[in-house]
Formats: sequence, structure tokens, C-alpha cells
Amino acid sequence: MAEMIKLSIFRHDPDGDGKPFMQAFEVPLLQPGMKLLDALNYIKWELDGTLTYRRSCGEGVCGSDGLNINGVNGLACITPIEGLKQPIHVRPLPSMQVIRDLVVDMDHFFDQYRQVKPWLQSDSPLPEHERLQSPEDRERLNGSYECILCACCTTACPSWWWNGDRFLGPAALLQANRWIVDSRDEATGDRLDQVEDAFRLYRCHQIMNCMDACPKELNPTAAIGHIKRKLVSRKS
Amino acid sequence: MSEQPVKHQRPTLPRPLSPRLSIYRWRAPMLASIAHRASGVVLILFVPLYLWLLHGMTGSPDHYAATLEWLHSMSGKFSLWLVGLALVYHFANGIRYLCLDSGWGESRAMMRFNAKLVLVIAGVAALALFWMLS
Repeated sequence: MAEMIKLSIFRHDPDGDGKPFMQAFEVPLLQPGMKLLDALNYIKWELDGTLTYRRSCGEGVCGSDGLNINGVNGLACITPIEGLKQPIHVRPLPSMQVIRDLVVDMDHFFDQYRQVKPWLQSDSPLPEHERLQSPEDRERLNGSYECILCACCTTACPSWWWNGDRFLGPAALLQANRWIVDSRDEATGDRLDQVEDAFRLYRCHQIMNCMDACPKELNPTAAIGHIKRKLVSRKS
Repeated sequence: MSEQPVKHQRPTLPRPLSPRLSIYRWRAPMLASIAHRASGVVLILFVPLYLWLLHGMTGSPDHYAATLEWLHSMSGKFSLWLVGLALVYHFANGIRYLCLDSGWGESRAMMRFNAKLVLVIAGVAALALFWMLS
């Protein structure tokens, strides 16, 4: 008989009485190296088809299955069951409006991403071919461009929990920094103007939950620090 | 005329907020950050106590004796211990934040390490102050 894994999963039925609750499940350990997403899939396909969660690529690239796993945010598809304390508590990303079970409303998160204008802005005439960048300048984008917008960092941030309506949050600020450091972008001044605000940027109090939670091992705290230093150097 | 599909309007309940502070696991950097705020509050609150102590010590000999007696009582010793601990912690973690603001020790490993380091410093200071005051 296969070893059983104990899980406790956040449930919320919008058509029910409206009260979320934790539901216990037991899933067999299917194979070595089994991931948390495999356990969720087993529950959905074999035990309870009503369990609702987002997933797509299953290999940490799409960023759909960001969840709170045993109290820390991460991606279910790349989190091994081994090493997780049981029962494994699986909850939706913190401080988000729950649509159903583990599915949360991401509109505000993506709206904040849009606010930093995450695209190349340049007034120079288009070159005949592509806009070139030296290998050194390209290297400066490492640690930023890998972000998959899973929201693990932003929803781990207590500053964002209390002031999420005005504080942009780590994911959006990591992206703001990605365009600030891009040698081809010519809107650095506007970008800095946009974030220079007691709430939009400076609500970061270096709690560092973002850095701790990022499943891609990026460091939004360091990116925010870089923006702050850029603002200081602009003044002096 | 094509038939319009009947729309079933559901009463829309407010969506619940997913749990946050009550369930998030405390890690060293998060603890180091909240302890920095808490120790700052302790240090501010010590100012009126400090003024009261100064006032007591510099009043009359009776006042001096009474203040000294309070300082040797349990609540007096606890206050000194708490303020001493807050001072050491706020100082150590303040330097850590200055370094981070300057861009030193910004790797993920260093951020985790220096958070633990200041917490260890605070632990050692707590024990040392306890030993000095007991």
C-alpha cells in the first residue's frame, strides 16, 4: 500500500454559505519527486472534482499556481512533497479576494504591473534592425527579466497587505527596475518620477518576504533598493 | 427571431479575503523587520521614563532613594533590561539596514544571513543584560 500524504486545503464555495473552511484530504505518494501540484491534481481527478485551482505549464514557467504552502508562498508545480511538514496546509495567495477555493482575483495585481508601463519606451528613431545592447548592459537585466508574475512576492508582503491600494508591491517594482536599468529605454526619468512617492515605492520597509518567497530565486528587495539609490543619485 | 439565452442572476456575495498575517510563517528577515519597529517604539517610550528617572534622581535625597529603590525592584530591572535590549537590537539592525540601503549584502543568502546575525546578537545581548541585572 502506498504511503499516504495528508493535506489540509482551503475551500470556499461562492454559492454556499460564504464561509471558507479547511478540508482534509489524503493522497497516495504516487512517485518519488512528486510535486504538490500532482497531489492537487489527484484530488481533483480522483477524489473531489469540485476543487478549483489555476495551473498550466506544470514546470514553474507560467506562474499560474502560486499558493500559500505551509505558510510560505510558492508554486505548487515545483514544490516537492518531500520535505513539507504534514498535513500540508494549502491556502490561496494571502490578502487576495477569493473567487473559489484556491483561485484569487488577480486584476489589481496585473493593474499595478500595467502602472509601471512594462514596455520599452524610446523616442530615438527606429534602427534598421534591432536595438542593440552590449553584453554588459544585457547582463544587468539578469535577475529581473525572469519574473513570471506569479504574485508570490507581492502577496507575501505585509506592507502590501495593509497598503496594497497605493503601494505598488515587489513584483511591479521589480519590473519598474527592469526598465530603469535597461540601456535601450529612454524614459528612466519618467519612470523614477512615477515611483517617487511615499506609498508607491517607499512603503517597502525591507521585510524581505518577497525575496524569501520568490520561486524563481529573484530578489525584489534588492531591486527596490536599486530604485531608491537611483532616486538619491538623481538628486545629488 | 432568435431566442435570448436566459441569464441566471446570482446574488453576488462579497468575496472573502484570503488569510494573511495569521497564517504567514515567520522567517528571520520578517522577524528582524518587525523587531526593528517594536524596538523603536520601546526606545521612544523610554524617553518619558528616562525624564522621570532624571527628575527623581536630581530632586531631593528622599526622591533619590525612592528612585534607586524602584530601579532595583523587578519592574525597574525589567525596564532597564527591555530598553537595553531594544537599544542593542535597534543599533545592530539599523546598521544592517544602512548597509542594505548602500547596496552591501544584497544577495539573497546575505539578506537571510545578516537577519539571523542581528537576531543572534539580540539574543546574546538579552542574556548578557539579564546576567548584569540579576
